[in-house]
Amino acid sequence: MSVKYALLGILSERERHGYELKAAFDERVGEFWSLNYGQIYTTLDRLEREGLVERRDEPQARRPDRKIYRVTSKGRRELESWLGRPVARPRALRDELFIKLLFRAGGDVDPVLDLVHEQKEVYLGHLRRLTQRKFALAKQPQRDDRLVTDLLIDAALFHAEADVRWLAHAEQKLRAASRRRARPREESR
Amino acid sequence: MIRLRNVVKTYRQGRAAVPALQGVSLDVAEGAFVSVMGASGSGKSTMLHLIGGLDVPDSGSISVGGQQLGRLSDDELTLFRRRKIGFVFQFFNLLPTLTAEENVALPLLLDGKSLHEARPRVESLLERVGLGARRCHKPDELSGGEMQRVAIARALVVDPLLVLADEPTGNLDSKTGEEILHLMKETAEQARQTVVMVTHDARAAAYGERIVTLKDGRVVGDLCGEEGERP
Repeated sequence: MSVKYALLGILSERERHGYELKAAFDERVGEFWSLNYGQIYTTLDRLEREGLVERRDEPQARRPDRKIYRVTSKGRRELESWLGRPVARPRALRDELFIKLLFRAGGDVDPVLDLVHEQKEVYLGHLRRLTQRKFALAKQPQRDDRLVTDLLIDAALFHAEADVRWLAHAEQKLRAASRRRARPREESR
Repeated sequence: MIRLRNVVKTYRQGRAAVPALQGVSLDVAEGAFVSVMGASGSGKSTMLHLIGGLDVPDSGSISVGGQQLGRLSDDELTLFRRRKIGFVFQFFNLLPTLTAEENVALPLLLDGKSLHEARPRVESLLERVGLGARRCHKPDELSGGEMQRVAIARALVVDPLLVLADEPTGNLDSKTGEEILHLMKETAEQARQTVVMVTHDARAAAYGERIVTLKDGRVVGDLCGEEGERP
């Protein structure tokens, strides 16, 4: 859904053709979100059908016409209204790890604990990579979008931190559950 | 720079023996920024205290900057701590009756220098941590972040080989904590100092280029190298 608004937002600055659009998108958020040309052109077609952007074809010598897109006034209103609305649906809990845990549940706890530990190290590595990026960013000259990039990195950091904390919590619960299973009699006394 | 071999430390609590470190071996390269993570009771603070010569192991050996700590007398250890190591603590540990400037100068004063001699170094460090205008303030006139900046300047005043930090952001809000970690990393890079920082906070730990995880007194994770790859 927000590919649509990201493209609208970039086009609201000035008109662009598809290649320029992708370059602008990659420069702003490419680190977190990759789009291919197919997605860009499909989305542009839809925006055009909805009357949110309009296209003009610029002839080029010995090459197909260049398609240049600009936002319509309807498109601007739509973008403004979207920018002002909070995001209704929080991040989906659809991690591959949950599926792995699901099929491991009930069996021997040790391989699960190993997996949880390995996964925690992966997230720590991710946190560290993001932090080094943040540290490098702070050394660059101040630009308008530096703060936004910094905040995007922060968001990724908070999410990864939540994952690390959840894994530590899961580890404790798994250990406790396996202790209970190993000593059912003591438990019932 | 730091070399731990089979370090064991057990504390006594009444009659019970509480194992804090159960055979830890670790090498830290010069100039590295290493985070040590672990839950409370994992042995991470004990490890920091042993590296800093604030406590001695039951067995095993520790060397810092080529110096075997076990071979030093108490007096030598005190001098070693004062001249070679900078400490940064969770609760800042500043002296409440002294100004920021006097707190920063303290390690030099203890080493026999006068405040007059210490002043140029102290002033430049207070400037460096962004507190040039606060040098005559006492700790209770400073915010938490400012107190930690004073503590960092105090840790750096002797130009230590090694900076040891125990939960340096544990008492700060997340934005201030970020600024403090940034400052620590930046000053360490500039002075090519080695840093060992203990924390239970994954986001703080991520400032280290290496993240060692302790659990029940043992090293269970050691993340170093690029992009989170295993050594």
